[in-house]
Amino acid sequence: MSTLTQDVPAAAPAGGAAGYGLTRYLVVRFLLIIPTVLVLVSLVFFLMRATGDPISAAFGDRLTPDQLQAKLHQAAYDRPLLTQYLDYLRSLTTGDFGHTVTDNQPVTHVLGTYGAATAELAINALVVALVVGVPLGLVAAAHRDRAPDAALRLFAVLTYATPVFFVGLLLKLVFAIRLGWLPASGRASTDVQLFLQDQSSTTGLYLIDALRSGDGAAVVDVLKHAVLPAVALGLLVAGIILRLVRTNLIGTLSADYVEAARSRGVSPLRLITRHAARPALIPVVTVLGLQVAGLLGGAVLTETTFEWKGLGYELAHYLTVRDFPAVQGIVALFAVVVAVTNFLVDILAALIDPRVRY
Amino acid sequence: MAQHDTTRPVRTLGAISLGTAFLVALTGCTSSKGSTGSAEAGITVGTTDQVTALDPAGSWDAGSGTIESEVYATLLSVRNGATEVSPDLATGIELTGPKEYTVTLKKGLKFANGHELTSSDVKFSFDRTLKIADENGPSSLLYDLDSVAAPAPTTIVFTLKSANDTLFPQVLSTAAGYIVDEQVFPADKILDDKSIVAGKPWNGPYGVRSYDKNSLVSFTANSAYGGGLGAAKTKNIQLKYYTDASNLKLDVQQGTVDAVYRTLTTADLDDLSKKKDIKVHTGSGNGIRYIVFDFRTQPYGTKTKKPDKAKALAVRKAVADSVDRAQLAQQVYKNSYQPLYSSVPDGLTGATASFKSLYGDKKGGPDQAAAAARLKAAKVATPVTLSLQYNSDHYGSSSADEYALVKSQLEATGLFKVNLQSTEWTQYGKDRVKHLYPLYQLGWYADYLDADNYLSPFYSANSWVANDYSDPAVRELIKKEETETDTARRAELLKQAQDKAAASVPLLPLLQGSTAIVTRTDVSGVPDELSSAYQFRWAGLAKK
Repeated sequence: MSTLTQDVPAAAPAGGAAGYGLTRYLVVRFLLIIPTVLVLVSLVFFLMRATGDPISAAFGDRLTPDQLQAKLHQAAYDRPLLTQYLDYLRSLTTGDFGHTVTDNQPVTHVLGTYGAATAELAINALVVALVVGVPLGLVAAAHRDRAPDAALRLFAVLTYATPVFFVGLLLKLVFAIRLGWLPASGRASTDVQLFLQDQSSTTGLYLIDALRSGDGAAVVDVLKHAVLPAVALGLLVAGIILRLVRTNLIGTLSADYVEAARSRGVSPLRLITRHAARPALIPVVTVLGLQVAGLLGGAVLTETTFEWKGLGYELAHYLTVRDFPAVQGIVALFAVVVAVTNFLVDILAALIDPRVRY
Repeated sequence: MAQHDTTRPVRTLGAISLGTAFLVALTGCTSSKGSTGSAEAGITVGTTDQVTALDPAGSWDAGSGTIESEVYATLLSVRNGATEVSPDLATGIELTGPKEYTVTLKKGLKFANGHELTSSDVKFSFDRTLKIADENGPSSLLYDLDSVAAPAPTTIVFTLKSANDTLFPQVLSTAAGYIVDEQVFPADKILDDKSIVAGKPWNGPYGVRSYDKNSLVSFTANSAYGGGLGAAKTKNIQLKYYTDASNLKLDVQQGTVDAVYRTLTTADLDDLSKKKDIKVHTGSGNGIRYIVFDFRTQPYGTKTKKPDKAKALAVRKAVADSVDRAQLAQQVYKNSYQPLYSSVPDGLTGATASFKSLYGDKKGGPDQAAAAARLKAAKVATPVTLSLQYNSDHYGSSSADEYALVKSQLEATGLFKVNLQSTEWTQYGKDRVKHLYPLYQLGWYADYLDADNYLSPFYSANSWVANDYSDPAVRELIKKEETETDTARRAELLKQAQDKAAASVPLLPLLQGSTAIVTRTDVSGVPDELSSAYQFRWAGLAKK
């Protein structure tokens, strides 16, 4: 359509689509997951080993040299580094992440147990990011170059420039300590946590489990506990979304095709939802995908700040005790999640905007 | 041409979205009434410890011990406030031969799962701990155990390696003495937490009801418990885990947590002690903090460029003259720790304040003149450079303040120049035994409450400190007290060993203290003053 000439940031350069079908584009994108994950897990593997071996870290002062050597041999940490690395990659392909050194749990059990908590936090944070970022972006666009716009742009800069743990502590100080409105830490109150543990089948997602239990008080309790961590982490992304929505809406609302639609008598609300919003939201979808890595990084700090026992919390713990298998397993999962999310974003962006073919 | 207001729809949509956001926030702020808890309300204990494993053969750390001491029982145990062992699952213990103890088990004992608890389980428990010998486990405490026999369902015979081992009954009350269910636990490997919880092999005052490792564990009183501690006053206890001590502090302040056991910062404890609905329980305790002198690398040590035993001793003594323990206790620990003048904490049988009468002003305070005189007499050039190491992550967040103050106390005399450094525990543990630290910080909690456990690990042949200090006379005194059955004579031997060691200053005791316990004022069962013999056990806890 000739009217679709305005610059859409996510679109490919002109001519980028030549010779590429959607299927081929997606296959290439999918195959890119493998080197991405490989580079990340390899990096973590070698960096962790640069700090020594986990057996010495965990038991160094309690084992005789002979016992230490026996332990190292038993865990295959006395083998050449390249051999260890290849063995590690081989075990990854079979889904064997090994056992944690410090508390002898299967790493897959750790991933399964705490993964749901991190997923829940990330989803909550994304909801907050959208609920805060999109409307404020609309407001900023509506008041372009006026005081509210300037204030919101400053707010956007502050939200993604301020460290997440600082925002978390600030929120805790105000809403939990000073005002006492919300709990300072945890995913649920002790009695609610026990109640959810007692349910016959659980997903690990407290809100879902509470809703399934049909207990209103449990739902409210879980929501109350979710607010501060979700806001602390969500604000990281909210500022970016705010700016994107503002910029894109300003662009699309003044575009020729929107003017044409308006002149045809299309209602203002329909003008936004059917004409202006879609191209304005393409970069938001893309950015949301790209922010998953940031969210997972932020989750480590957010989870420790709020005692939100997820993978970030566990990662921080296992890092301090230098538990190689646990750290490698969690990071590998993070890498896969980020890579797969980016792939899904590529699919979504391609579906929303047919011009996206790299 | 009429101008359209292009921003009106945007404003409308923005207002709708903002309203939605406000409603979501409002929902989050709504107060919930009524309890959803399936368990009847009990007491919630908060901790920053972590559990290694629930299998007593595979763990020997404070975090695991907190749970194990409630769900497993021992043949003998030490009652709160006492230092002597008394029967728990046993009815008595007898020395039936020079190397043989015979224990009689109570009749009709059972585990929470209904299995009978007999001498066969006891033999199984000790045998498997020794066989598995897990590096995380307490098998080293059974160093003197040769074999266990179960000649009758309620009779157990322990054969020891050495004669007249007076400490073995104490060992039976430690983590190495937990009795486990032979029908649940494998004989040759550690059992995972999930299987243990499913097997319900509880024989202590409490059993685990639900288990979310290092997050939330709920306990319920074990009706099958037949030990000597008596029935639990509170049916349900929850143990909640924290990583950040400030979150734990906040929760006890707000009443979400009823009691805190390990570990809040000194500043938090000080702040909480001023709150009207909070009680901070501290006391002399049985944890000690001390400085170790490495005899190889300390000034004039055996492996230095100018080794000189007399000068090295003078330096150690001058340091002992110069430290102000009372100031450390007050300024750094707000008196939650107290001055310590022996490696044996005050309050234990046989403890004597050897360092008080030997050094400083002879009243427990520092004396710069005495320190200067010692160094001058030994012809030691001043200021003496001391390289002092402390640990940044193992002995609490106040270590940095503690050692900064030690440095300033020593340097204030004008006799010392202190190079202060800190190292992470994982590296620290390795470096110190390689003699890389001339002077360094260590701490110690006893495995069992006996003065010997504060002497033998430091001064015997297989010293944990490993600082090259060796005094045959001290070792002989320790060997004698370990096999002395007469209490008064043993106390005298312990005193002599402390005096003899203090004269050489292989280590410098600084402070003793308890792990502070914080409770809400409506929680009873924790004494105001925690003596060196106090142990935090839940059976006595109650909530008004």
